[in-house]
Amino acid sequence: MTDTAALERGYRRWLRCYPKKFRREHEAEVLTVLMAGARAGQRRPEPMECLDLMSSALSMHLRPRVPRSNRSALNAIKLMYIGAVLELAVAIVILATVADLKSNVLTSSPSLTEGEWHAIVVGQLAPLDVGAILSVGVWLWMAWSIGRGHRWARIVFALFFALNISSLLNGLVHGSAVYARPDLAIAILLCLVELAAVTVLFRVKIAPSRSGANRNQPRVTRDADG
Amino acid sequence: MQEATFLILTALAAGSQHGYGIMSDVAQISNGRVRLRAGTLYSALDRLRLDGLISIDREEIVENRLRRYYRLTPEGSKELATEAARFQSNAASAIARLGVAGGMAR
Repeated sequence: MTDTAALERGYRRWLRCYPKKFRREHEAEVLTVLMAGARAGQRRPEPMECLDLMSSALSMHLRPRVPRSNRSALNAIKLMYIGAVLELAVAIVILATVADLKSNVLTSSPSLTEGEWHAIVVGQLAPLDVGAILSVGVWLWMAWSIGRGHRWARIVFALFFALNISSLLNGLVHGSAVYARPDLAIAILLCLVELAAVTVLFRVKIAPSRSGANRNQPRVTRDADG
Repeated sequence: MQEATFLILTALAAGSQHGYGIMSDVAQISNGRVRLRAGTLYSALDRLRLDGLISIDREEIVENRLRRYYRLTPEGSKELATEAARFQSNAASAIARLGVAGGMAR
């Protein structure tokens, strides 16, 4: 195998990290640029080139495909990230306030045994904490989906909001006396962020990304030497 | 606007260019200070196309390799002019203040 063929194969391997759509449209031209920039006799991609291709591919997979002009969509995505951070804070606060919660429960039910407390931890607190951690994933998934222009994400997020708000209201009606204040405060804050996100989301105009839909059809010419 | 983005738009201000041409031009404009790699360049070009600041002009096949040329859109020219005016104004203020303070800083 010649140096050029080996190098091209190496670059193609790294370009597989990019999203399929990008590869379909741009792989050939990126390869042209990579080959044009290679040193004479270079047989494989250099470490810095690999790092650059990998980080750029990762950024293309993760970053929202929303034009800067679509401020509502970008604001909705920002709110999703804030929501993810708050949800993580909820998980931490639940763990950090277990002792306060126990003392509140003991105040309202002085006859509570260790076994009953253990049952509350396993049956209620642990699922709440796991739920908060899973919700971090849901927020990030929603941010990614809105950034990719998936309309169904609005419906999924509205259902997620309905579930969370009903869970909060149920908690306030039935167990607010035993909740630690930080738990309540952060849960209410989270619901406000969700409400803001839902409001913004339903005002967003979600359209397919411009790079695919609005692309000018270029002229293709063949160089006389080529 | 990030410096690399500004330099890419500046490279395209004189006319359409292909990827490798933009990389070389950016290095030249910045006196060799900014050397874009292919991944960074195409990530920026993808973003600029999404924002409607550049578009594809034409394609060529040279020695069996694809060259795609990019050009500034009217929005891209406007954005570059605004950003250049902002840099110029900031630079003028800095130079004027250094002058007031007793000459250029050493």
